[in-house]
Amino acid sequence: MTSALDRFLHTDRLPHIWCAGCGAGMVTGAFLRAAAKLDLHKDTTAIIGGIGCSSRAAGYLDFGTVHAIHGRALAFATGIKMARPDFTVIVFTGDGDGAAIGGNHLIHACRRNIDITCILFNNSIYGMTGGQASPMSQEDDVSVTAPYGQAERSFDLCRLTEAAGATYVARGTAYAGRELERLIRDGVRHKGFSFIEAVSQCPTEYGKRNPPKGAIAMLEDQRDRSVSAKEAAGMTPEELEGKLITGLIYKDESAPEFQESYQRMVERVQQDFDGTS
Amino acid sequence: MELWYTHLLREKLDQDSLLVQGNRASALGALDAGVRFFAGYPITPSSEIMETMARELPKVGGVFLQMEDEIASICACIGGSLTGEISMTATSGPGFSLMQEAIGYAIMAEAPLVIVNVMRVGPSTGRPTAPSQGDVMQARWGTHGDHPAIVLAASNVVDMYRLTMAAVRFAQRFRTPVTLLADEVVGHMRESFSAEKAGRYRLSSGDFDFTENYSRPDLVREVHPPHQLGAFRHPHVTGLVHDETGFPTNDPQKSAEFLRELHDKVAHHRDELCLYDVKNEGRGRVCIVAYGSCARSARAAMDLAQHEGIPVEVLHLYTLFPLPVEILQRVARRVEFMLIPELNLGQYAREVRKMAEQWTTVISMGKIDGTLITPRELVDRVSDLVGKYENV
Repeated sequence: MTSALDRFLHTDRLPHIWCAGCGAGMVTGAFLRAAAKLDLHKDTTAIIGGIGCSSRAAGYLDFGTVHAIHGRALAFATGIKMARPDFTVIVFTGDGDGAAIGGNHLIHACRRNIDITCILFNNSIYGMTGGQASPMSQEDDVSVTAPYGQAERSFDLCRLTEAAGATYVARGTAYAGRELERLIRDGVRHKGFSFIEAVSQCPTEYGKRNPPKGAIAMLEDQRDRSVSAKEAAGMTPEELEGKLITGLIYKDESAPEFQESYQRMVERVQQDFDGTS
Repeated sequence: MELWYTHLLREKLDQDSLLVQGNRASALGALDAGVRFFAGYPITPSSEIMETMARELPKVGGVFLQMEDEIASICACIGGSLTGEISMTATSGPGFSLMQEAIGYAIMAEAPLVIVNVMRVGPSTGRPTAPSQGDVMQARWGTHGDHPAIVLAASNVVDMYRLTMAAVRFAQRFRTPVTLLADEVVGHMRESFSAEKAGRYRLSSGDFDFTENYSRPDLVREVHPPHQLGAFRHPHVTGLVHDETGFPTNDPQKSAEFLRELHDKVAHHRDELCLYDVKNEGRGRVCIVAYGSCARSARAAMDLAQHEGIPVEVLHLYTLFPLPVEILQRVARRVEFMLIPELNLGQYAREVRKMAEQWTTVISMGKIDGTLITPRELVDRVSDLVGKYENV
């Protein structure tokens, strides 16, 4: 079976490595539909993944793709964007790759407001290494490294990235694929650092130790817990407990983008430099 | 090609030579060699390289990035390198340790890159402003797995300039990261620096020509086809073991072949990569084998010893890895002692011993108190060796 999106895939690399019921393919699908709408150019689009289940998506996509080292995809991407400002640069990362080992790079990429779109697949677990707790595991979640329940608190990544300076912040779910596609499309169009948290499900490593069981139940849970940002504005903190605030959460189109600011500085310096020599 | 430093000299001062600091000379060498992408993180005693790049790169439209740490710095450089930019970073021991994983990635992905490590006393925070050569084996084996390494060592300000250029050339030609080591004193010393001096580089291992197609040399034949973003349509780049398509493979034969080829591209070109200078060739029973600041002391010790009636040979190594096996063995066959002064506890002496001990006695002279080895100390050690021999 072929689809219109096959042109963006290395079909010879398929089938993919993801388990049955995994949300990574659904998020990647949302990206592919967004890529088609945006008509992304294969030669000038760079997709950088780190290490982990979600980051593997880069290897299936027929763009310029980099499978970087664990946690550092955004640092690679920063170098690529600065060297080739004409590129559309997109980072695929996970909750371990992006929020744990790569957390420092995430906040600094936000601070710079560099024109990169970061899609963070959040499945609340380290899937590839066999089900260890992540910074996005919720309190009391059971995992192989929290066999008696997670004692730590988790991040709210959208609040974190907004506070750190990202100028486009959104959250979608694997369940609401159309919405996620729109959020990714708008994030790529946005000039500046775009952060999209894609809440995903891992029935294999998360689902087998935590309710609800099975991919379908996990997807329904994403649906049931979702509250749009608009609705959330009128709700109390108690009412929002355990909910996922979805949709566009924050957008600022007036903040200076880093590569452009750098370019303006270079032009100013070169004018002065040429003037004196 | 117009060299950057000559431009600077013309601009700033109407004189032939200028007092230049070692770290600054490294930055000027980088600019002259075509480095247009630098990402770094401040660390003593290397920061002046970064500061010079911050000042100069915008003038030529290059990219300068101060990243959030050394890991991000080298990863940004790899990103730049993957688009075809000539990229460089500079650091010292603690930062060099943080970069190790990414150095392995650059080796695996065949991303050219220059890393200057101005060494300070370690381990850990150690003594940030005291000279050391403690990172020699880290430069060789710091990243995990079997891998090749190209490691150069600078002994003075002019070396900092010339060897940074050499590092750029080797990185581009072999498509692999190249490390330039300097001990703190080499990075921070100021010496007379002139176009005349820096342009000529005549060594026993051969002359070095900086002018011809310098920073975009032909690739050695063992290099895999470069996967450059934006040039090679849409490549895939990975740190996984891959084949020539760039995609990962678990095929035992293909993966062994790929790793073997990474080694071979360096090992097959030792003649080109191993830079060294021999002084007083064949004229002593002792040869001092030295690099970095110790090589300067060795050259001075050679004159001092001559004055005192003891002929001494000096082998000054500018390339530490790949190991210059041929010259080490040639010298080992003709001398009774190889004396190896180092600002560490004999890291390189152990390497030389493996190559040379069947022909000669290899003696390590290590110092870790953060001071230099003086010519006097070397001559005393040489007389001691020669005297002992005579008494036998």
